[in-house]
Parts: sequence; structure tokens; C-alpha cells
Amino acid sequence: MRVPYSWLMEYLETATPADELAEILTMGGLEVEEVEEWTSADGKARDTILITSVTSNRGDLLSMVGVARHTAALLRCNLKLPELRIEETDSPNVAGSDLTQGDTRITIDDLPGCPRYSALRLVGVQIRPSPDWMRHRLEAAGVRPLGNVIDATNYVLLELGQPLHAFDHRLLVRGHIIVRRAEDGEKLVTIDGNTRELSENDLVIADEKGAIALAGVMGGTETEMGERTTDVLLESAHFNPTMIRRTAQRHVMSTEASYRFERFVDPNLTLPALARAAQLIRQTAGGEVAGPAIDVRAEDFAREPITLRPARTNWVLGTKLQTPEQVELLKRLGFGVETDTAAAEGAARGLPDRDWLRPYPNELQALERMTVAVPTRRPDIEREIDLIEEIAIIYGYNNMPTTLPGAIASAGVRTREQKLESRVSEVMRGAGICENVSYSMMGGCDLDFLCLVPEAPEREALCLRDPAAENQELMRTTLLPGLLVAAQHNVRRRVDTVALFEIGRVFLGRGEGVLPEERQKLAAICMGSSRVSTWNLPNEYQEMDFYWLKGVIEQLCGRLNVTGLTFERADRSSLHPGRSATVIVDGEQIGHLGEISREVQRAYDLPSPAVLLEIDLDTLIAKADLLAQYAPQPRFPAVNRDLALVVDQDEAHSGTHLIEAAERSGGELLESVSIFDVYADPERLGAGRKSVAMRLVFRDPDRTLTDEEVDEAMRGIIQHMERKLRAEARTW
Amino acid sequence: MEERLKDLSMRARAALEGARSLDELEEARARYLGRSGLLREIQQGIRDVAQELRPRIGQLINTTKADLERILEERRGALEELKIHERGDEQLIDVTLPGRAQYSAGRHPLLATLDDMLEIFLGLGYTIASGPEVENYHYGFEALNYPADHPAMDEQATFYIAEDVLLRSQTSTVQIRVMEAQEPPVRVVVPGRCFRRDTMDATHSHTFHQLEGLCVDEGVTFADLKGTLLAFGRGMFGEDTQVRFRPDFFPFTEPSAEFAVTCFNCHGDGCRICKGSGWIELGGAGMVDPNVLAGVGYDTERYTGFAFGVGIERFAMNRYGIPDMRLLYSGDMRLLRQF
Ligand SMILES: [Zn+2]
Repeated sequence: MRVPYSWLMEYLETATPADELAEILTMGGLEVEEVEEWTSADGKARDTILITSVTSNRGDLLSMVGVARHTAALLRCNLKLPELRIEETDSPNVAGSDLTQGDTRITIDDLPGCPRYSALRLVGVQIRPSPDWMRHRLEAAGVRPLGNVIDATNYVLLELGQPLHAFDHRLLVRGHIIVRRAEDGEKLVTIDGNTRELSENDLVIADEKGAIALAGVMGGTETEMGERTTDVLLESAHFNPTMIRRTAQRHVMSTEASYRFERFVDPNLTLPALARAAQLIRQTAGGEVAGPAIDVRAEDFAREPITLRPARTNWVLGTKLQTPEQVELLKRLGFGVETDTAAAEGAARGLPDRDWLRPYPNELQALERMTVAVPTRRPDIEREIDLIEEIAIIYGYNNMPTTLPGAIASAGVRTREQKLESRVSEVMRGAGICENVSYSMMGGCDLDFLCLVPEAPEREALCLRDPAAENQELMRTTLLPGLLVAAQHNVRRRVDTVALFEIGRVFLGRGEGVLPEERQKLAAICMGSSRVSTWNLPNEYQEMDFYWLKGVIEQLCGRLNVTGLTFERADRSSLHPGRSATVIVDGEQIGHLGEISREVQRAYDLPSPAVLLEIDLDTLIAKADLLAQYAPQPRFPAVNRDLALVVDQDEAHSGTHLIEAAERSGGELLESVSIFDVYADPERLGAGRKSVAMRLVFRDPDRTLTDEEVDEAMRGIIQHMERKLRAEARTW
Repeated sequence: MEERLKDLSMRARAALEGARSLDELEEARARYLGRSGLLREIQQGIRDVAQELRPRIGQLINTTKADLERILEERRGALEELKIHERGDEQLIDVTLPGRAQYSAGRHPLLATLDDMLEIFLGLGYTIASGPEVENYHYGFEALNYPADHPAMDEQATFYIAEDVLLRSQTSTVQIRVMEAQEPPVRVVVPGRCFRRDTMDATHSHTFHQLEGLCVDEGVTFADLKGTLLAFGRGMFGEDTQVRFRPDFFPFTEPSAEFAVTCFNCHGDGCRICKGSGWIELGGAGMVDPNVLAGVGYDTERYTGFAFGVGIERFAMNRYGIPDMRLLYSGDMRLLRQF
């Protein structure tokens, strides 16, 4: 809200300069976002404007007087309020929900929606522009001057926070105002020129012909004030905040009035606001008040006082505020406070320091209490804790002590899973892959780009009702789109080496209305060189290809102490059919690895086939161990033998199968098998054949092996290979 | 004989050590250690030595020879190295060419910032908790004491999936889940993603990170909240950091505060980063509202607590001088390789 400094100072006995005031208000619960120097359009007036940002619980700060009250409490200075009574509002007649007064009748059909409706009639007014002082004030506060009567209602809205509406009384059918729900399909042209189609959820002000205003939001054109209006009916009502909020949202409009009603307007402000408006109208438009105000209301709007235990204030805040100090702070806010004299003894022994606070709460009951009468303008204060907050605000947050909570008997440590997750990130980064953070949303198009089949589980994605951006309407079910989009981002900027991984959640639908399963995944995309610089280095030493990324997974499992890692040829539509694998741990599939298919490469416009990885991190971490167990160093030397096999080039003779065959047939002395060379040469080896060279390491933990023993083991292996795998063997 | 040997040894040593090139060294070697060198001459002269002295002299000749040979080899090695530097040689490499190491990647700036924050709270005895990012309305609003249909909900700009299913707009939702699962004392921090329907620009993102903190026990006070966040501010920015609190409003805390730290760049004098104020706003905090505590079944007379939430993105941007929030989510290699 725009608060002109000179306007505000009219109510305050203080000479605090504007910038100082801005700081005090900000630190005192009313944030001043900006201090603006303002000059009126006609150049005649200047002012300093405090632009405030009011939290949604403090509707009472949406007026000059409200700001002045709060300022007075913070500065401990006197408040000078305008006279808010006239004879006609002093003792208005009260009756149920229907009241007639002269030519005016008011009926409230919906008391929950409109618990109070007050009105005042003025006759003989003359519509003309407002005097300069009024126009300048409105302009400074950001409201356009429109003519004296309307200006007066806007002035009161800004000054007191009570929205008013002025009807041309002669345009009201039979002078009868009815507050009721709209009928479904009822129409109203509001003064902004829009035709509103109403529903029975909307609260309207009507006359006997039909709706004339959208209650608490905006008036209608039919009964709008004109230049010739002389007979005015001023409406000053209290509406249900939720009702107004829903109506304003339904019709996508927010007005000065609806903004305030949504945040609660003091129900006891209707008559003072009418009195103030009448004063201003008589001053600027002439005319007479016709008869006493009409005040139709559901109840008396009185409030029960709230009990506050001063010791509780200190218990919550950690302060040592004496009872009289607390009383003074609350009185500064205009609250009525009565202390319980019978418990004054408690006060006499002074309020406790922190150590004393420990025996609480049994002792607290014996302590004194006070009763606090809170004005109806503060609906946000209902409980003891709310009063404690007020005390804290007026006392000043920065004047309160600063301590640390007492010790507790547990250490702050990461859980096993958290430690392992950090380790995964470390290993991936150690391999030179950058950590990526991408959005949790993806587009339906991404699922198509990944060539996922219709029945793929990734297609069961949660759909946002109102997405924020294009291609981000689904919650991700896979991390791959985020990485592919990132790769594309880099390629478009001519960065062709991309190595990214992400650890993040995916969301797997479990049916309508049920929260999805959130699983942690690890995914990576790599293309280009793994090395910082590659001069003179052959391609195979630098390229991040299938085997490079596979090596990273093997390293990762090693660092996580995961055993039983195997790979099988995979069949995934997004991956190259010949160059992709399923990642398996202990016989359980945990994810996939491979080159992207040509289709995916095209869809994301990548210059070379990237390698992708995505595994279920929750499963991997469940299989991991934080601590490795030491295996003793061998005491006796190993014997190495190399073996070359020429075998068929098929799945049955894959690396894993050959190693397994050697392990099965190698006997107890065989310690390890590794492949160090593979090649195919149709001319020398024959079509469909390949040569695989492996190194076999033999060892006995308790003695040195003899050549004869190793020869014997080698013969067993070779025989097995020749018989079962149709291998031609060569040793050297 | 012994005298001659000592003299020869000294001269030979000087000649070998003084050789300035391999040629000079070879010359010295031939002169003293060669087939017809001076040492050989003395060796042959042993026949003229008395029988009983021969073993001792023989021994002396052998050690002298060994010493000189060692010196010769040392000098040869030194001169060969020197030669590599002097002329082109296959062993000579250009040490100024770039290294060919594998890359090693640093932590993402966002997560590095989060890690530093977590470190501080682990030190203060907090454990790290997490909760769902897709939440029920109950945890998103109701349990956090949001009144139904209140303007306070507008500020959250929540994404909905269904009437009752939404994306959490703040990590505060996890407060409830943590308290439902355990009795006081509670001391947890919750790092995590949140979502709001914000227009994407340099300082806004629909996906962002927060760190939530929650401490509930007997006798936990607002003063304790101030002290905890002061410790946090000092841990992040150094011992001379100050923390400032001003009133704010959150439905789930009462009293509520917004907290700021003295600008790490200008230390309070005012600069571009803090927009001249000397302060950097970090987040919201407050005493957990008794309605929230009652909602999870805690005794609100006995227990009090505080909670706070810190945004990570702007913090990280300030810290590393990253001008645009979208960069953090771009996967741009040129950005990530800098950390
Ligand atoms: Zn600064």
C-alpha cells in the first residue's frame, strides 16, 4: 500500500523523518519496501510515499489510521484520530435482518455472507471535482480522483480501511437494498464495463429489480453515481472474507474493496466510516444527512477477553519481561489489560530467569495471569500465543536475548543412506562427470522422443493441472529427458563434450488420488572426450563410450562394496540394440546402460551417439555397504598364464561366458581371470570367429605353486573350452 | 706406493668431477681408469711391493678404483641429463604441453551450498530428514495451520495434480511428517526441492531448493532460534556476521520472523549484492504454532519449538556470482566445469 508520509503524520505526534520511520516500521512488522519521492501530476504537491507490503494476516494495516496506530505503538507517541461520530451515527436503530427507515429499506437474506450492513442517505449533494488537497492525497495513494462523492468514499477506504459504496438513491427500485445470493445465470454489468454472469455462490447487493453490485467487490453501472446525482445512499458493510475471496477469484478481479474484505475489515467500523464519509461529503459536495444511519446486523460483534500468563511469554520468548512491562507493551497497541491482583505475589518475586523456567509447567499454573481485551479490528489475535507475538513485535525482535537450545543426547550424523548417496556423487564426479540438477518436470514429447512403447511404465506420469511452462506438464518418471535436454543445450552452444549425471527423484503413479512412489535414480549422459586435453592421444584412450561408462559403474559398485554386478544385452527402444545392456546386481535388474538409438539422437539433435545410464539408486544403496572388509595380502606368489581362444562370435561366447567357463573349470588354484584382447579377423580366424585373449592368475594361499600344478590346471581349462565351447586354444 | 695412490686418487677425482662434457669425462676416464691408465700402472707396480704389504695395498687399489668408478658414473649421469637439455633428444619432452588427465568434477554449486549448510547443522546436533515432494493437501496446508481459503495460500502459488494432491511449495510439509513419526526432542534439517508456479526468469524458478530446520523440546525459546540462526550465519559467512530479525507472517509459526545476515560482500556497508541495505535476507523462521504441535499430538504446554526455512538458489547465486537462476538448472558444461 502507498502511504503518503504527510497523510500519516496527520495522526501522529512525532517528528520522525520518513526514512527513519520506514526502518522502524520494517523492523516492527510492517515492511516498507520502498520510499518514493512523489510529485502530483499538476506539480502543485510533493510528498514522500512509504510503499508497504502487508502480510495477509494484518488487514488492519491496510489503512492510514491502521498504520498510524501501529506506528504510535512502536514509537510510543500519541495518536490524533479524526472525529469518527456524527449525531446520525451515534444511536442508530437496530433490528434483526430487515429494517426500513424513511424511503430506504434494507434486507439481509444471507447473514453468514453479510453479518452487518449499515447505510446512510445524503440528499442535495452537488457532484463536482474534489478540492486540490483531496485529489492530491488520493493521487499520492495511487487512487484516481473521480468526483467529490466517490472521492470521499475512496478517501475513507484509504484512511480507515472500510470500503464504502455510493448508490444513486433515485436509481434504486423502491429504495430497497437486498443482500442475497445471486441466482444462477443472473447478469450484472459492473462499473468496469464487463458483463458478469453470476452464480448462486456469488453474494450480490440487489434492489427489487435485480443485482446492482457484486458485494464487496465492485458496483454495477445501473445504480452508478452520475454527474446529476443529488441523492446518495452510502453502503458500509461487513462481508464474510472467504465469500468475497471466492467471488473475486471466480470473476478474476481484485479491487481495493475485495482486497481488504478478504483480509477482514473490522465489523465495528461501518458506522464510524459512514460518519467520516458524511463529514467529507458535506465539506466537498454540500448536502444534508437524511435521517439516522440504518444499521442491520446479525450480532453485537463483542469479543471475549484473552488470558495471558506473563511467565508464559518469557517461557516462549526466552525474555525476562516483568509483568508491568508486558502490560505497557499491550496497552500501547490499544488493548485493554487487567492484571489479576490476587496473584500479584508472583509478580513481586520477579520473573524467572532461564534456569528457573525448567520446573515449568506445573509452577506456571500458580502464577499470575492477565486478561486482555482485544479490539475487533484484530481478528488475528485469538490466543495467548498471539498476544505473546504482539509483545515480541512491539518489544523488538532484535532487543530479545540470543541463546542456543540446551544439549540433547544424540549426535548430528548422516544416515547410512545419506552417506552412501554422497559417495555415489563423489565417485561419479571423480570419474570427471559433472553433477547436474534439472527440473522435476518433463513434457509428454520427451516420452515420445525416448521412443517409449505405449505400455512403458515411464508413461504413467503424473500430470500437472496447470503447468508453468511448455513441455513441463508431467512429473518426471525418468531422469533421461533432463539429461538429454541438457546435452542438447550444450551442443547448441557448440560444446560437444558432455558428461553429466544427476541423482534425483522420479515419480511413479500409483493411481488416482494416491501419492506417487518417489524413487531416487542415478542417471548419466556422456559424449566426447573424457580427458581435459587429448593431443596425440588415440581416440580409444579418450572417448567416453559404452565401455568407459560401464567402467564407471564397475568402479561405483566397487566403492559401494556392491558385489554380484553383471551385464546382459538389453532390448530398450531408446537404446542402440547392439550396444546396450541391462545392469544387474545379485540377479536383480537395477537399470540400463548403452548408446542412445539413432531415433533418440535425432530427436535431441545430438551430433554423436551419447551413452546413457539410468539405475535405481534406492535399490543399489540397499545392496551397498558403507565399510569395506580388509582381505589379507597374499603371502605366496601368483603364477600368471595367458590363454588365447578362437571361438564363435555369438552370445554364448560373450566375455562373461568365457570367464565363467574358465572359472568353472580352473579348479581351486585359479584366483582370477581377465580378458585383455579381443579381435575378429575373418581371413585368419574364419568368418564368425573371434580371438579372445585372457590372463589367468593361479595361487595357493599357503605355498608356492609348481609349474606342473599350473600346467595341470591349464589343461583342465583348455579341455573344457575345446569340448564345451568349440574353442581353439593357444597358450604362451 | 700408498702416497702415490692417494695423490692419484685426488687428481683423478678432480678430473672426473671437473669434466664439463662427456668427451672431457671420457678423456679423464682413459687417463686414470683406462686399460693403460695411471691406476693400471700402479696396479702393475704392486709386484715391486714387499710381500707382506701387498694385501693391504691391493685392497686400497680396489676401493680407490671402486670409488672412482662410482664418481665416473655419477658424473656421466649428470652430464647426460645436461646433454638432454642442450640438444634435441628423444627423452626430451615439452613440459609446457597440456596435461592429459581425466576430468575431475566438483559438486554442483547448489548442492555444495546445501552441503555447507548441512555441515553446520550436523555440528549443532541436527539430523537430516526428507519427505515426499508430491504431497497431500493435508500436509501442504491443513496441518501447517493454513486457514481454508485464505489469501496466505496465494503466496504459495501451488501446483496441483488433483484436488488433494499437490507439489509441495515449501519444505515445511516435512515438519509434520517428522513430528508424526517421533516424540520430542526433535532436531532435524530437511533439504529438498519445492515447486511454485513462478514465471521463469533470472531470479525465479518453478523448481527450487529449501533447507528447513525444526527444533522442538521443553523450553525451546525464540531466543534459541535467534542464537541458532546466528550460529548458522557465522558458520556460513564468518565470525563477524550479524543476524537481523523482523516480524513476518507464516501460518505455521507464531511469532514469525524474516531473518537476514550482514552482507558477506560489504560487511554491512551496502553494495550491489545487498542492494545497498547491508543485509541479505535468507528466509523465514518462527516459533512453531501451537496448532501445528497440537495437530501432531504434542503437549503444547510442555513443548515449544522453532522452525526456519532458507532458500538455496539465491544464496548460491550470490556466493558464486552466478547472475541467472536458470543457469543452475541448465546443465551447461561451461558452468559446471568451473566448480
Ligand atoms: Zn553488501
